[in-house]
Amino acid sequence: MKQLQKNIRRVAIALCALFALLVVWGVYSLTTYGSRWFASSANTFMRTRKKDVIAGDILDRNGIVLATTINGQRIYQNDLNARKATVHAVGDSGSNVNNSAESFFASYLYGFNSSFLERLSFALRGEQRRGDNVRLTIDCRLATYIASIFPSGKAGAVVVMNYKTGEVLAEQSFPTFDPQSISAAVKSDPQKPFYNRAIQGLYTPGSTFKMVTAASAIENYTNYNTIAFDCTGQLTLGSRVITDAGTNLTENKLTKHGVIDLKKAFQVSCNNSFAQLALQLGDARLRKTAEDFGFNDNFLFRDLVVENSSYPTVNRNDGEIAWTGAGQSALTASPLHLCMIASAIANDGVMMEPKLLISATAPNGTQRAKLTAKVYRKPITSDQAAILKDYMRAVVTGGTGTSAKISGTKVCGKTGSAEIDGQEFTNAWFVGFLDEAASPYALSIVVENGGGGGSVAAPIARKIFSWMLSNGYIQ
Amino acid sequence: MSEKKKKRAHEPGRNTLLAMMAFFFLAFFLLALKDGQWQSFALSVVVPAIIYVGTAGISHLFPSDRLLLSLTNFLCALGVLVLYRLSPARGMTQAFNYGIGVGCMMLCAMLVRYIRSWKWLTVLIMFGSIGLLALPLVFGRETNGAKNWFYIGGYSVQPSEIVKLALLISVSYLLSQRKVILSLMFAGACLLMLMLQKDLGTALLYFGVTFILLYTATGSVPLVIGGMAGGAAAAVVGYQMFAHVKKRVAIWLNPWADSEGAGYQIVQSLIAIVNGGAWGVGLGLGNAQVIPEYYNDFIFSVILHEFGLVFGLVVLCMYLFIIIRGVMIARRCRTVFHALLATGCASLIALQTFVIIGGNIKLIPLTGVTLPFISYGGTSMLCSLCVIGLLQGVASRNNAGVREDRELAMAGGDAR
Repeated sequence: MKQLQKNIRRVAIALCALFALLVVWGVYSLTTYGSRWFASSANTFMRTRKKDVIAGDILDRNGIVLATTINGQRIYQNDLNARKATVHAVGDSGSNVNNSAESFFASYLYGFNSSFLERLSFALRGEQRRGDNVRLTIDCRLATYIASIFPSGKAGAVVVMNYKTGEVLAEQSFPTFDPQSISAAVKSDPQKPFYNRAIQGLYTPGSTFKMVTAASAIENYTNYNTIAFDCTGQLTLGSRVITDAGTNLTENKLTKHGVIDLKKAFQVSCNNSFAQLALQLGDARLRKTAEDFGFNDNFLFRDLVVENSSYPTVNRNDGEIAWTGAGQSALTASPLHLCMIASAIANDGVMMEPKLLISATAPNGTQRAKLTAKVYRKPITSDQAAILKDYMRAVVTGGTGTSAKISGTKVCGKTGSAEIDGQEFTNAWFVGFLDEAASPYALSIVVENGGGGGSVAAPIARKIFSWMLSNGYIQ
Repeated sequence: MSEKKKKRAHEPGRNTLLAMMAFFFLAFFLLALKDGQWQSFALSVVVPAIIYVGTAGISHLFPSDRLLLSLTNFLCALGVLVLYRLSPARGMTQAFNYGIGVGCMMLCAMLVRYIRSWKWLTVLIMFGSIGLLALPLVFGRETNGAKNWFYIGGYSVQPSEIVKLALLISVSYLLSQRKVILSLMFAGACLLMLMLQKDLGTALLYFGVTFILLYTATGSVPLVIGGMAGGAAAAVVGYQMFAHVKKRVAIWLNPWADSEGAGYQIVQSLIAIVNGGAWGVGLGLGNAQVIPEYYNDFIFSVILHEFGLVFGLVVLCMYLFIIIRGVMIARRCRTVFHALLATGCASLIALQTFVIIGGNIKLIPLTGVTLPFISYGGTSMLCSLCVIGLLQGVASRNNAGVREDRELAMAGGDAR
């Protein structure tokens, strides 16, 4: 009987542990994912809520009203171009754009955080309740400019952020649409205008990933600057052949770089050298560096829902590993994440968490949310960052990215021309930053089916940076 | 103050009872003011009345555990309230089930209290339950991937619920007689029948309860490891064998992949919970009806939505107290059979609550078991209350035992 009682006690403890598990998991998942569930477009509870509460305004960083509510109607700003340029960051009243400010900050906009007293005061005054005004880090003027220079008819994305604070000044996706009048053509457009490519587009990073491969080499080899690569224009590994841009195997035309070092290989974006480097490093070390930079992480940023980037984990033969070093294989990343990688290099190895919200202010003036810069992770040391910065500077001064050059300003960057199956041209990439303490801005640009990164994306970067410098984006 | 009145004021749990009755009177009265239906007014009187009968009434009839009764009645009444608020017809049916259930609870308690020999009854129960479990296989219809119902004159009956009680009694009895092999064979047969009906949620409960009883009776560590390994193996086999299990696991891993289709239920459940926040949207103000099966599998999400997280935690604590109380009763038992029976009852309630609430909050894959006392459904309500009835019976035997001891001791003292 004694033994029996002991056993019963053990059973009781196990059962209590089950209940503890329920509580711990419930509280954990609510605090971690709650805001994402809430902001989901599947939240039908919001629809009833929207009838009861006047949604607050959405402002840009300079106070320009991007969205407001007049007589129960959601009105976006008057200027059509500005409206179209900011629609993916701001959202639309029909929740066609996922995870935009309209849905992700709905808890502020519809006053879910307001206290009982605030609710009571609205009730006593006999007024309809108002939600909080939300101010974003988005810069409406910059966004409008970017939209005006992006190649028309092309799909793609542009992200501009402050690499010191993580503030996102522009997250733009193309093609765009007018939230005030959504036509049937927009809904049926095969290029999917509602889709926010800047944060949800999962692209093959192409040569822009060489930032990570190079970082891995610098981390793992003390003699990184004396390793010699012999680029013969063609590297055959099993069924896969690594070649460089400009190669045409059927005409037997090869791009050869000869014997070069890491810096030169980075500057001219030599696939062959980076393939050799990846094989030398091996999958484990390369993956470790990529994961330090945020690949395979579950991004849970407080202000932004960013699609997770992935470093492939299956089917890792030599051919795949070699292509991974050059940014192909099954790698995927969003334009925002690539901008964060460039930002980390620019910011002495410190990767900031991307921020979209400056403040949320209640109708009575109470400040409910405030921007605070937060370090996301530190993938590399500041010394390593300085080396990579130098490489990226060389790309712009005398490599594939010379079209991004601005005289008198230190522009750094990396181009990319990612090959996509079934596409006529490559996706054109430019990821870079201004190495200027007064203008700490990084950007990433992708033009789908656009062509070469150096010829298509780099000039856009030059235009954006020049415009920013001549329009007072200097701190 | 008269002697009688004084005594009543000191009755344990009296204030709790009054508070509970007031809570449900007010809740139904509020709903009545909102919708103006006579049913709401009726329920605002009827539900507190059932609570009174189920709590004070029973403990007048024979010695019983007041705390256990109060908690059970609160949860049942809460179920009626939530169901009535979402779907009045179901709420009325549930109030009826609740009333019948209280009767069944008394019956079960009496059974345990007064039956001295369980031998032949156990044999009868064992054959009966195998027969019952076979019925849906012969006459049943398939719903939600499982074939575990059959219909008698318009009423749907779920034998696996009734057999739960049979399993508790017979496995406890067999183990108390040290007939380990026979008990395992019986439990295995029941499990097999459930697997054939594809009712894997209930199969999991049967397995868990049998396993816990086996451990309690034998206390052997190899058995624990073997049982867990067996359970894991069965889970893998179940996963490979049944397409709907694979689907459920996939939904559990990422319901958002198909939030408008297969994952809709769980996604809506999570959204309803987060909309409720800490204090809930308020009774009658939510719209949890968008969750499919809100009245059955997802009723806990509805409670979190309308009453909030804090209240949800309180409800969880009530279940926990019921279980702890059950275990306390088990530890005070004088016979192995009754100790095992009480442990089994507590474990069943605990596992069932864990499995369904865990499914609601995406801790484990969703299985179609009901939330004891609260979910809509006659068989489920009756069965849960019968389990409490069994516990009450054991508690009342314990009390009677203590009293006999005291009388014996006093008699001995007099004789000297």
